[in-house]
Amino acid sequence: MLVSITVVICKMAAFLTRRLMRGGGQALPGLLADYLDPHLAGKLAAQLPQGVILVTGTNGKTTTTKVLVGSLEAAGETVITNSTGSNLKRGVTSALLGAASWRGKLRGTMAAMEVDEASLRRVTKDIQPRLIVVLNLFRDQLDRYGELDTTAALIGEGIAQTSADVLLNADDPLVASLATYAQDGANVQYFGIEGMESGQTAIATATDTDRCPRCHERLTFSRTFYGHIGHYHCVHDGYKRPHPDVAITSTSEMGLHGSRFEVSILGKRQSLQFALAGVYNLYNALAVVGALAMVTGSVQSAVKVLAETEAAFGRVERIKYRDRTLCLLLIKNPAGFTQVVQTFLAGRPRLAVLVIINDLDADGRDVSWLWDVPLEVLRPDEPRVFVSGIRAADMAVRFKYAGIPAEGVVDVPVGVESLIAASHPGDEVYILPTYTAMTKTRNMLSKLTRIKPIS
Amino acid sequence: MKQALTIAHLYPREMNIYGDLGNVIALQRRLEWRGITPRVVHVEAGEPVDWEAVDVVFGGGGQDSGQLVVGQDLLRHGSALRQMAEDGVPMLVICGTYQLFGHGFTTVEGQEIPGIGVFDMRTVGGTVRMIGNMVVETEAYGQLVGFENHSGQTILAARQAPLGTVIKGAGNNPHSRQEGAQRGMAIGTYLHGPVLPKNSQLADALLGAALRRRYGVTELEPLDDALERAAARVAASRPR
Repeated sequence: MLVSITVVICKMAAFLTRRLMRGGGQALPGLLADYLDPHLAGKLAAQLPQGVILVTGTNGKTTTTKVLVGSLEAAGETVITNSTGSNLKRGVTSALLGAASWRGKLRGTMAAMEVDEASLRRVTKDIQPRLIVVLNLFRDQLDRYGELDTTAALIGEGIAQTSADVLLNADDPLVASLATYAQDGANVQYFGIEGMESGQTAIATATDTDRCPRCHERLTFSRTFYGHIGHYHCVHDGYKRPHPDVAITSTSEMGLHGSRFEVSILGKRQSLQFALAGVYNLYNALAVVGALAMVTGSVQSAVKVLAETEAAFGRVERIKYRDRTLCLLLIKNPAGFTQVVQTFLAGRPRLAVLVIINDLDADGRDVSWLWDVPLEVLRPDEPRVFVSGIRAADMAVRFKYAGIPAEGVVDVPVGVESLIAASHPGDEVYILPTYTAMTKTRNMLSKLTRIKPIS
Repeated sequence: MKQALTIAHLYPREMNIYGDLGNVIALQRRLEWRGITPRVVHVEAGEPVDWEAVDVVFGGGGQDSGQLVVGQDLLRHGSALRQMAEDGVPMLVICGTYQLFGHGFTTVEGQEIPGIGVFDMRTVGGTVRMIGNMVVETEAYGQLVGFENHSGQTILAARQAPLGTVIKGAGNNPHSRQEGAQRGMAIGTYLHGPVLPKNSQLADALLGAALRRRYGVTELEPLDDALERAAARVAASRPR
């Protein structure tokens, strides 16, 4: 079918769904387009003079893509992105459609999209990207894909069918091993942490994968920064962490409100500041500057964007309410929840926290991952822990076995009131919802305070 | 002298998927709450094990790559573990380790991983993944709830007793309506969740058997399990 006709039909569908459904339905035009013309996205993307960057991996896709888009725009590009987090093939198609005129001409110079790990191969079957960025591979809603090795192979397939350049996390053994899938002639680069002040590395946790991706023997780690992310080598077949092209050489500050660090890139040193806390965000920052260097040859445009960026939807949101700061943090898998525990909750003598666990499809229906989070490290003198959501009882049992009594609350409004009653003016209190609980929580908080509801 | 029990955790680095570590946490806490000291020893590939000192054996699920390494090493302990099962030592093995406690596992690629034959059964890798909430009715422990996530199909020999009958879910395979296997106090199952925290009666059955063997204790001090039962009720009510 002619590009322009498909575009017209799909844009009308988008217009109608927006009018009729009052928001939502972002993926529907893409779904329709992929049905009418499976190559429409590819044809549209081919118009972009500066090409397409795809970002995939378990954690940090939304944050990395958002900061990358901001930096590219600061460098003068007009960037198309799927900012609503619809990261399946249809979401990518929808984003391109949204930027197309009725005649099928794209308004933009390039695209930077986040892509679901299992969808990468569907996207690259149609769209020829110039760069694929792979952040990390953690267990995340394993009931969707089966096992981590399977997910890695799916990403590999997505890489192998394009001639795209590739930017990989050197410190994640499984991600670094994806280099073998890159086509001959593709530029493969790595990012990683070379040095970090001691005492700033995360405590040891149950690792997701400490096996050599080649021979499946156990890897030897000389350092770990969090989870299975670190400096590793295999004594059995010689597989080792590749030397990173983009590296953090030292960190000078790692606080609740962000990090300061030195990056070695393009043969130069660059001081950077990132407003998002946590070791995992250091890697997101590295992925951004690495991608920028590969695409534009300069990282200058990222300096200000990194320093001033705000958390992507739901990641770390601070809301002032009744003299308290409500910190809203999305938890969706053990690695993310563990980071939240280590960055925000550990070491607080007085801990007021509300955890909301749902088990709908978007949350992952298996809640067993709650037991892979080392809640035992929390030893608050005054624990005031509240649980809510469909699987509140599971969360309460997990806390009980970590030695922390938890109280059930019927809903989020009661939970927030309980947090206020359990804290003092000036305190930071924490609300940790899973994905579907986040939307509800935010909408409820929007009634109490001035945050925007999620449409 | 204070009583103590030793839990052997089989290959915790390789077989640690889907929160199965929670089962060891549950055993530890439920001993501590009764004033009994839990000791956990890790059984690692190539390392010697003093099975005489072990009161409870636990092994969890793992990825296929881990299962290969573990399957190789587990053969060293085959005769010891078969004898322990025969002697009534309580064991709980889940998913990947459960499969290796049968006669063997044939992967979907046709690779043969020999098992140690504690249970009279075989497992064949399949292309269909059996995923979802599972409810099992057992004679000895009542209703058990959890979450299954496997593609291996396990077929029990006619004389091998299952753990229970599937009420919701697939269990050993999509056809038999049987779930798990039991020999003495050795229990194999596909139930993640993890299974012991929410099904505390099963945790106490394992601990009770261990205390009886080690100390001749016949009565297990009861605990308040209202929260655990509430979590089990919610889990059982969730759609497949």
